Amino acid sequence: MIKIENLEKVYKTEEVETTALNGINLYVKEGEFVSIMGPSGCGKSTLLNVMGLLDKPESGSYKFIDTELLTLNDRERSNFRKRNMGFVFQNFNLIDELTVFENIELPLIYNKVPTGERKKLVNEIIERMNIVNRSGHFPQQLSGGQQQRVAVARALVTKPKLVLADEPTGNLDSSHGNEVMELLCELNETGTTIVMVTHSSHDASFSNRIINLKDGHVISEKINKSRNEELI
Amino acid sequence: MFKLNLKIALRNLLKNKVYAIINIGGLALGLTAFVLMLLYINHEESYDTWSQDLKNVYQIRERHSFFTPDNKEYWQDLSNSRVAGIIKSNVPQFKAITKIDKEWGNGFSVKINKNEPVLIKSIKDADSAFFHVFPYKFIKGNSEIALKEPNSVVLKQSLATKLYHTTDVIGKAFRLVRWLGDKGIPLKITGVVEDVNTPESVVFNAISHTGDQDHDPTDPGNSHYGEIYAKSESLLDTTLLNKNLQKVYVDFKKKSFSEQKLNFKEVYADGKMPGLKAITLKSVHLNPPFATNWIEKIKPVIGISVFLLLVSIINFVNLSTAQSVQRAKEVGVKKVLGSYKKQLLTQFLLESAAQGVIALFLSIILVEMLIPAFNHQFDVKLSFWQSEQLLTIFSELLLVFVLITLLAGFYPAWVLSGYNPISVLKGNYENGLKGIALRNVLVVFQFVISVTFIIAIGVMEMQSRYMNNKDLGFERDKVINLKTGYEENFVKRIKQIPGVKYVSTTTQVMGNAFNTSTKITFKGNDIELNRVSVTMDALQTLGVKVLSGRLFSKEYKQDTVNSVVLNEAAANLLGKNLVGQSYGFKSYDNKIISFQIVGIIKNYHNEGFDKTVLPTVYKVSNLGGSANTNNLLIRFDTDNYNGILKNIETEWKSLYPDFPMQYESLDDAFSQILLEHKRFVNMIILFSVISVSLSLLGLFALSTFVAKRRTKEIAVRKVLGASNIQIVNMLNKSFLILVMVANLISWPIAYIIVKKWLDGFAYRIEMPVLPFIVATIISVAVAVLTVSLQARKAAVSDPVNALKYE
Ligand SMILES: Nc1ncnc2c1ncn2[C@@H]1O[C@H](COP(=O)(O)OP(=O)(O)OP(=O)(O)O)[C@@H](O)[C@H]1O
Ligand SMILES: [Mg+2]
Repeated sequence: MIKIENLEKVYKTEEVETTALNGINLYVKEGEFVSIMGPSGCGKSTLLNVMGLLDKPESGSYKFIDTELLTLNDRERSNFRKRNMGFVFQNFNLIDELTVFENIELPLIYNKVPTGERKKLVNEIIERMNIVNRSGHFPQQLSGGQQQRVAVARALVTKPKLVLADEPTGNLDSSHGNEVMELLCELNETGTTIVMVTHSSHDASFSNRIINLKDGHVISEKINKSRNEELI
Repeated sequence: MFKLNLKIALRNLLKNKVYAIINIGGLALGLTAFVLMLLYINHEESYDTWSQDLKNVYQIRERHSFFTPDNKEYWQDLSNSRVAGIIKSNVPQFKAITKIDKEWGNGFSVKINKNEPVLIKSIKDADSAFFHVFPYKFIKGNSEIALKEPNSVVLKQSLATKLYHTTDVIGKAFRLVRWLGDKGIPLKITGVVEDVNTPESVVFNAISHTGDQDHDPTDPGNSHYGEIYAKSESLLDTTLLNKNLQKVYVDFKKKSFSEQKLNFKEVYADGKMPGLKAITLKSVHLNPPFATNWIEKIKPVIGISVFLLLVSIINFVNLSTAQSVQRAKEVGVKKVLGSYKKQLLTQFLLESAAQGVIALFLSIILVEMLIPAFNHQFDVKLSFWQSEQLLTIFSELLLVFVLITLLAGFYPAWVLSGYNPISVLKGNYENGLKGIALRNVLVVFQFVISVTFIIAIGVMEMQSRYMNNKDLGFERDKVINLKTGYEENFVKRIKQIPGVKYVSTTTQVMGNAFNTSTKITFKGNDIELNRVSVTMDALQTLGVKVLSGRLFSKEYKQDTVNSVVLNEAAANLLGKNLVGQSYGFKSYDNKIISFQIVGIIKNYHNEGFDKTVLPTVYKVSNLGGSANTNNLLIRFDTDNYNGILKNIETEWKSLYPDFPMQYESLDDAFSQILLEHKRFVNMIILFSVISVSLSLLGLFALSTFVAKRRTKEIAVRKVLGASNIQIVNMLNKSFLILVMVANLISWPIAYIIVKKWLDGFAYRIEMPVLPFIVATIISVAVAVLTVSLQARKAAVSDPVNALKYE
């Protein structure tokens, strides 16, 4: 589904130039759950941002199914993103002024889903995420694990083809972290493609394939046999 | 979408209540000053708009042919009454022409039967065509015939109810006594017209038709001057019309000159040709014949109120961008979820608009509350809801609203919608710091304005105090000025009333200067002096101070012949040791008459302090009889002279039963002179208060924000051992620098402005230093206080709370 070739991303600040991505080649198959690992500063988040069309690389190619995404203009990128992608962040990034329900509803609004259907979809996902009795709460009134479930719910409510998660368990204790990982697995099992950045090999063990980055290069790739066997 | 955005906006406002109140309140304040000014402008523009038909009414103006000091061309609104006739026969486009006598005196006395006379202003005499030109609505009577007969009068509704408590007054009669001693004209009421609710250039309470305006003087050398208005059936091309008028008028002049055996070319040898033109009634108010028009007059006020609005908009921009960091995450998330920049821009603009609407409503409430005080202070009659121009005002407000929304909302919206989602979502709000330099500039700008205002108030206050306490050279208490001439019989009677010390008259009275100059020869030099004629007691009545010699007195026979008193200014021109010396004056038949100087008095101010006291010579003359000075000065020997006044009034009534007595105290007359000045000062104070509060609001909110943004830094510093005071100082320092910079900038600006203002006074204080120092101290103190309040709150809070969330 995704084919990335020779991706390069350079950050220029006043004094230094940092090459965050240095010729990345990568593919992701439809329905796959891929983990990206590597030492801090190796370019994991940068790669994810590029994949999520939040950032523009200097050169390279990024094909999604058969569309080249790097040549799109801002508006087309926004449109493509809101229709096909969902995001989960390490620090949740829920809008503080909106309730749980409203936070989850937001992407549907951007996708111009009619009100009636919106309510139905949000309620469905709230039920699935097990946060029904929290739907009127504001983010600050929830625990970290609950907040992340809301964030996952928000990423999923539009039924995106691709979910991008940057250290989704980074701010959570292990039991809450596991809950989130199980959610992602469930999601993956229903056919959603997931690319996740993580530092935890425990989390990575939930995925089909682990890609290792170092200094902006892909240095190795490992198929997660146990998980793949499970799948089969 | 909209609903959700509205929710976000409201919840944000509620979360930051103080910020919201300051932001909206500040804008409301700025708007208030602006709306008041708009109302004033609308009021001025509404002159002569009470009827559609007035579009076709023109005022005739004649070129002013007298010498004016500034040598500019003036067109006076008084024209030779013969002009009406020549227009009638030469300009067929005018269907109706009316002549109105100029208003003179302080009002006419209306005497109904044997009742007490009442003084009524603006009873104007016109010919029978007045209501053919001015389409007033008749409540009683008929516009066609109302003024047809001589000795008829048409009242405004308000006057009818004032005099008769009813409008059923047709057929009633009264006597109009126009001046003291006038035997009066009997007038019959033939109509009552409705009062109009927009201001009029031709103000009247009643229009009489005595017949005086029906004929021109028979002698071609005599002219009668009055206002002339003409009405056409449709809008005329004024250029064409005026070309015609000019030609007709010059022809008329030539003819009239040859009748008088004058040579036209000689009279107009200086090239100043006679001129005649018509201007639309609508433009009359904007073009007063001699005075500066209202737009020129209020230009500084327009400037200031636009400035204030700008300051409040700056505040808004400043606070919104400062606050925007709190919205950064929202922007980031929305962008990730696929929002376009344009959508976000619209969202934030709409938020500003919403706040603008609230501010506008608040300002309308404020305006409603302020209008009575404003009207009283500036002697106008403005209204908001009752205003005739409500629709205009609302459309103007709509425009202002759109403008402020764009001005105030666009920059913050642009900043906000421009946030890079990746960095904000990483918790990196560097973007929020981008505006810091701009915000600092804006804070400095606001403080420059405020400090300048404070300095200006200080200097103005000192100048006012100086003027109020300045020795006027005469004693203004215990003296009244009766509006009448020096009539021997009356003077003799009131001199006998106990408590009356002096009764006298002079040709020069407070605030009413008729300066006539006289050329004298002293020790071979020709010197021009201002000449004032007085009765024997006049200088004593005024209580002037004698510097050397003596004042006039009955004991000296020659005092009624050739004694003079000089004021200090005149004495300085002539030299030293003047008492006892004489100067020469060439009379009209070229004889040299000698006058002896008997005394020198301290300069006394009969006008405002903006004018210098002229070098003046005082001379006794017989001002009784026909020499009508219309001011009779009476000095009492007590401050409590109400009882004595009653006695004087009794004497008055027995002598002049047909004309009411009018008087004012010299104290009041003098205050009247200072009134215009006082109004101006009050206005500056009002604007200053608004400006200073706006700046403080801005500073308060900005420091709140900075303290909040630096919460983490403060916490870290405290953990590392910083004391509360150290932290307060740290926060204060950055703002103090700004305020000091603002002070440095405003000193020269204030100096220039205030100097220019002071230069308008002939008698003024030296440029004081104190206001500059005080303004600086005040601004620094208030800034420190404001910032400290916020800084302290941040400093004393528990550092753990701040760090926990990171
Ligand atoms: N906005 C930026 N400006 C300059 N350099 C940047 C910027 N963002 C990232 N970098 C640099 O790019 C490199 C890759 O950063 P990136 O955030 O992708 O690392 P990461 O692998 O996600 O690390 P971590 O595991 O710590 O999150 C780093 O060296 C970082 O310093
Ligand atoms: Mg990272």
